[in-house]
Amino acid sequence: MFGAFFRFELNYWLRSMMVYVFLVIITALVTGAVASDNVQVGGSLDNSNRNSPYTIQMMYVAMSTISVIMTAAFANGAAARDFTYNTHQLLFTKPISKFAFVMGRFWGSVLVAMVPLLGVSLGVLLAPRVSFIGAEEWGPVFWSAHFWGFVTAAAPNAIIMTALIFAVVIFTRSTIAAFIAAIVLIVGGSIAQALVSNLDNQTLAALVDPFGSMAISDAVRYWTVDDRNTRVITLSGLVLANRVLWLAISMGVLGLSYWRFSFAERKTSRHARPTEEASVKATRKIPKVGYQHGSGARFQQFASQVKVDFFETIKSNVFILLSLVTLINVSVALLFSDAVGFGLGALPVTYNMIDLIRGSMYAFLLGIIAFYTGVMVWKEREAKLDEVLDALPQATWTIFLGKFIAMTLIVMIILTIGILAGVVVQASEGYTRFQLGLYVTEILGLDLLNLLMLVLLSMAAHIVAPNKYLGYFLFVIFVVCNAFIWSALEVSTRLVRYGSLPDYTYSDMFGFAPFVSGLLPFAIYWMLFSVLLGIACILVWQRGKERTVKRRLSFAIRQFRGPIAVTAGCVFALWIAAGSWIYYNTIIRNELFTASEVELRQASYEKDFKVIHEGMSQPNVISVKYNIDIFPERRAIEFAGDQKIINRSKEPIELLLLNFADGYKTEVEVENATLKEAHEDQDYYIYEFNPAMQPGEELGMKYTVSYEPKGFENSNTQLSIVQNGSFFNNMLAPQIGYQAGKELTNKGDRKTYGLPETENLMPSLDPADIDNRRKSYIPGINEWVEVETVISTTNDYAIAPGSLVRSWEEDGRRYFHYKVDHPSLNFYSFISADYEVAVNEWNGVDLEVYYHPDHVWNVDNMLRSMRDSLEYYSENFGPYKHKQARIIEFPRIATFAQAFPGTMPYSEGIGFIADLGEEDDIDMVYYVVAHEMAHQWWAHQVIGANMQGSTLLSETLAQYSALMVMEKTFGRDIMRKFLQYEMDSYLRARGSERLKERPLLTVESSQGYIHYRKGSCAMYYMKEMIGEDKINGVLKGLVDRFGYKETPYPTSLDLVNGLREVTPDDLKYLVNDLFEEITLFANRTKSASYEELANGKYKIRLEIECKKFRADEKGKETEVPVNDWIEIGAFAEPESGRRYGETLHRERMKITNEESSFEFIVDERPAKVGVDPFALLIDRMPKDNMKKPSKF
Amino acid sequence: MTCTTYLCPLQRARGAIALSSKWQETPMQLVIENLTKTYPNGVRALDNVSMTIPKGMYGLLGPNGAGKSTLMRTLATLQEPDSGRVHLDALDVLGDREAVRRILGYLPQEFGVYPKTSARAMLDHIAILKGVTNRGERKELVGAMLERVNLTQHARKAISSFSGGMKQRFGIAQALIGDPKLLIVDEPTAGLDPGERNRFYNLLAEVGENVIVILSTHIVQDVKELCTQMAIINLGKLLFAGTPVDAESELAGQIWQKSVSKDELGEIEARHPIISTKLVAGRPLIHIRSEEDPGDGFTPVEPDLEDVFFTQINARQNALSA
Repeated sequence: MFGAFFRFELNYWLRSMMVYVFLVIITALVTGAVASDNVQVGGSLDNSNRNSPYTIQMMYVAMSTISVIMTAAFANGAAARDFTYNTHQLLFTKPISKFAFVMGRFWGSVLVAMVPLLGVSLGVLLAPRVSFIGAEEWGPVFWSAHFWGFVTAAAPNAIIMTALIFAVVIFTRSTIAAFIAAIVLIVGGSIAQALVSNLDNQTLAALVDPFGSMAISDAVRYWTVDDRNTRVITLSGLVLANRVLWLAISMGVLGLSYWRFSFAERKTSRHARPTEEASVKATRKIPKVGYQHGSGARFQQFASQVKVDFFETIKSNVFILLSLVTLINVSVALLFSDAVGFGLGALPVTYNMIDLIRGSMYAFLLGIIAFYTGVMVWKEREAKLDEVLDALPQATWTIFLGKFIAMTLIVMIILTIGILAGVVVQASEGYTRFQLGLYVTEILGLDLLNLLMLVLLSMAAHIVAPNKYLGYFLFVIFVVCNAFIWSALEVSTRLVRYGSLPDYTYSDMFGFAPFVSGLLPFAIYWMLFSVLLGIACILVWQRGKERTVKRRLSFAIRQFRGPIAVTAGCVFALWIAAGSWIYYNTIIRNELFTASEVELRQASYEKDFKVIHEGMSQPNVISVKYNIDIFPERRAIEFAGDQKIINRSKEPIELLLLNFADGYKTEVEVENATLKEAHEDQDYYIYEFNPAMQPGEELGMKYTVSYEPKGFENSNTQLSIVQNGSFFNNMLAPQIGYQAGKELTNKGDRKTYGLPETENLMPSLDPADIDNRRKSYIPGINEWVEVETVISTTNDYAIAPGSLVRSWEEDGRRYFHYKVDHPSLNFYSFISADYEVAVNEWNGVDLEVYYHPDHVWNVDNMLRSMRDSLEYYSENFGPYKHKQARIIEFPRIATFAQAFPGTMPYSEGIGFIADLGEEDDIDMVYYVVAHEMAHQWWAHQVIGANMQGSTLLSETLAQYSALMVMEKTFGRDIMRKFLQYEMDSYLRARGSERLKERPLLTVESSQGYIHYRKGSCAMYYMKEMIGEDKINGVLKGLVDRFGYKETPYPTSLDLVNGLREVTPDDLKYLVNDLFEEITLFANRTKSASYEELANGKYKIRLEIECKKFRADEKGKETEVPVNDWIEIGAFAEPESGRRYGETLHRERMKITNEESSFEFIVDERPAKVGVDPFALLIDRMPKDNMKKPSKF
Repeated sequence: MTCTTYLCPLQRARGAIALSSKWQETPMQLVIENLTKTYPNGVRALDNVSMTIPKGMYGLLGPNGAGKSTLMRTLATLQEPDSGRVHLDALDVLGDREAVRRILGYLPQEFGVYPKTSARAMLDHIAILKGVTNRGERKELVGAMLERVNLTQHARKAISSFSGGMKQRFGIAQALIGDPKLLIVDEPTAGLDPGERNRFYNLLAEVGENVIVILSTHIVQDVKELCTQMAIINLGKLLFAGTPVDAESELAGQIWQKSVSKDELGEIEARHPIISTKLVAGRPLIHIRSEEDPGDGFTPVEPDLEDVFFTQINARQNALSA
């Protein structure tokens, strides 16, 4: 009998359209995601094959998560069908077995729920056939990944989800409950994801995620490109544990519901119908009342409509549940956010709260909008109330507008819930700078406008659609098209992109000031358009029973007269006027380029000039006098430079190649030179010297670069000059020589424009390549330059490099004259803003932090880090040559910190708002300052040549330096945690490498995960093995040889060879392993046990396994024999509140076999024992190094 | 279907209340001219229908699908005819919908409710939509209306929890609340139990004295009891218009009946033009129309409205099939 029910269930669904529709949807989504770069589902693609086993399995995970909504439909159908169609009375009176009935239905629907997921395989198999992408990005068909994808994700998820939802339906007999359960499961998954932001919780997160996606992500966490192309995840480890756990849970729940299931009719829980009272004595007279039909009455009708629609919605259980789910999701996001890095949160500043609210709530909100607008528009017709209400003397506009406003209130309620959640989280973390005005402006202002335009659009879709489902479909299609079609059509103006407003970024420093002039006209334009759309909606609103397009149109046309026509006409005129004003500003007064126009220019710059100009000798700048006037209130600037240039080459220079700053007006005057060619499109100007510039000759060059905003733009292209917090550098000046940095880098784009693939981004490492050693790896930086600046502003401060010589006021403007104390790289930033200044002093060096008055939290910490850094660096590397060190806050348009000579601009969005709450947190602020301070040596004294490996000298050494300062201040335990994060991010980033993974020696300047992350691990390990002093000796030697010295500049070999020299012979292999090769280990503790000895000590027995690998540029690993010094050790139980226990034993062993065992004695009871206890080696799986020992 | 006692309640209620003032004195009539409506699927719901409806109760009789509801909806401004005109005195019903809605009370054949709104709140909403803007007056009006339809006790409950009869009473309340001059009720007694039906007719009769009440039904009894004027329509065509008495007297002396056994039925059907067959105590009772004594044991019977109705319908159908 089981078979009968099973087959019935299967046949029931296989005969319905739903299964096939879902199958087609999933196939289409996957095909799109795999075959094109424009569709993204379940993570972005990388350098691995598009149809790699990794992609297949990730798609299975993503799709089996999304499809829980589909599963809910099947499970609900199977469990509730008889109650929905009231066939239960027929069916349950027959002699059927409960087991056969419940299980037949259940397994039938499980099997059906798996069918749509086959779309993943179909999609992946189909993608290469429909894609325009060339054959080189596709690999062979990988059947085992299809199999395992299905077995690890699709099949178990179908079983688990069906079981859970099936049980919910059996308990509640409610369809809505089924879908709520589905949503709750998805939210559960997202909670698991939020938990994983912390490295310590990964195992837990992998287990609690019911979809298994965290467990699978954990398994592939450190996969390289090669791994992604060749490996599959099978049922093992955490994946197996998760699947078994959740299968067990779901079967348990199913069992419970089986036990609870009963054929008997349940007592209706609804309270009994009101009963009729017997007698009727209705004698009350119907009173006479007045009837009004004027505008007052209209307004009252409108208000009453709002009331009815609003309360009908918010009283429904579905809405209450949806709001709760939304609230839970937002709260989780707000509480578990990881905004800064290293497991460290930012302070709950309002703008971050707003971003988190958006990220976690708006998807739900969009769903709520889509769903409830449909409900609103169709409500009366579905309830069969339309005939009653449509025959009432209510104006149609009051109905439409009433519903629109009811939706508005609903959206506002949810937004307000979001804001309240934000404020509560802020308060709970003791943060009281709530900035309610900012919440209101962004969420209840700009976002609300956008959301309401969607409400309106959705209502319009439902008004014109002949039924509700087509209405939903129309809305979704429109939203999707609006999101994608314009860039595909190469249309960038926001005038046609429904609801589009210029991008903006709020900053505590300037508020919204630079964006207001653009936001306002666009907001007005779209509001006017909304009014027109609203009027159109009112005109075609279906009042009564006439459905045909013809009748509704003719009716609409007849209605279009009187006040409504006049209003529409006026609004239309205003809308056209606003549109014209925007057109004039964004397209006529300012230039507006499409993405491909910009790409085309980049491509033609490379095509036209790379070959003839790239190697051409060009003069260097040797001194500059800047004269800068900033006009913050109108966002204008005049940036003048008077510089000396010199010909350092051995031959005369005939052409001067100048690149002007895009969007600025540049005027140049060069001694002995005239303009020969002007390539305005590429901002490229070629001057000719007459006579030619001789070797060693010095000439003068003057320029003025200016910017004055003209009206407003489609999106602000220039945010360097703002009302408060202007931040720009001397790249505004004409840049000399061909700029490789202007070339297209994206692989696909390069192909589109017929450019060759980039092999190496930088010239190869070659110490004999003197030409490239005459340049630094930073374009245009190849001299130690004298700089003097006079800068003026109307803000409180304008800051330029060097010591302040004089400052004065003139005509209401503040003038500052700065002079750099020691010739430095020609790489300077300038900043103008209203600041508070914190000052300190160290050995005659002024330490200054310029910060926004509200952002006081980390200022002292910054000063401390500056002082500690200066102390360590000048003692170990050499003297600091500037008389001041400045940290200057700049607006969060960008989020980085950067070191210029003596000045370190630091974004508002990171260090200043970092939350250094707990004791064992990594002090991000201190670390970043120490890193930037280290650049005062590593980059600003010793600068690498223009070739691969140069960032080893700047970024890796800055990391090392910062690590040393931190270790001194915070101790070793914090370093362990820090390096754990560094290693994790190195290992994770390898898989997304788009070009080739390089060893440190030849790292490309764009490979941050290598020169920062791996660099930290490698240098720290070197230091552990050969000692801090030896390393610092080498570094001091580098400063002595190359600090502030003329070219040729050093290469990474100067460092690596220096290290090799000071390394003892038996450790020399380290230099090769760490710097010249990509080396990885797979070390683990196989078993560990201890025995309490008579003298109270503990004897430990340990068996370990060590494997060593070399990886190639794609991450393909080859095992090599182990012949390494590796530590073994033991830790005691950590004291409460501490992360790590005391080190009981630490011993360096020469390991030559894959497996080895050891015995040693410690004083205390060991809690963790194992190999490489401090995780110093780059290990593919650092977690299994240590083990809790058993007692024997 | 023999007459039971509850079918004659009118005398008790008649004249109890006069609802309107201004319009009371004006002779009012609704003139329908050449109304034609064809649906996109080809069904001709109204076929050149013309009639004049005076003040008072007007019964619109026809089988299901006759075009009654289309006519009612057209009068209630919910549909547009393809051609034809409708005037309420000087008021162009098809052109000035807004004005019609102000004086209209409409109870559709089938109607639903908002799931979460109480009877009082809904009636209040409808009162506002009808133009009762004064809060105090409205409260009074809604209270009285609820009392008249005997829902005061349940006023705070969601209408969705009401029984069929209670819901229908609510429907009546909403139709009456605006002091309508033109009251259109479409199949109003469907789903009502006999007591409720009684009370409904009482209420309708009260209201119907001074306004136009159009009552559409397929239950002949309703018209007979309530209406002074009536029309029969079928397949979109007007078959008869006049008073029920006229209708009946047209058939005087032509209706014969006979109680037969089921076995005889086929045989008799073949020989006589049967108007209707119904079961009385389990035996078929046959009505036929015949100008002379048909013999076969048929006895003469006073024609009632039902005979009129079936005569009209069948004549039409016979004409079509011929």
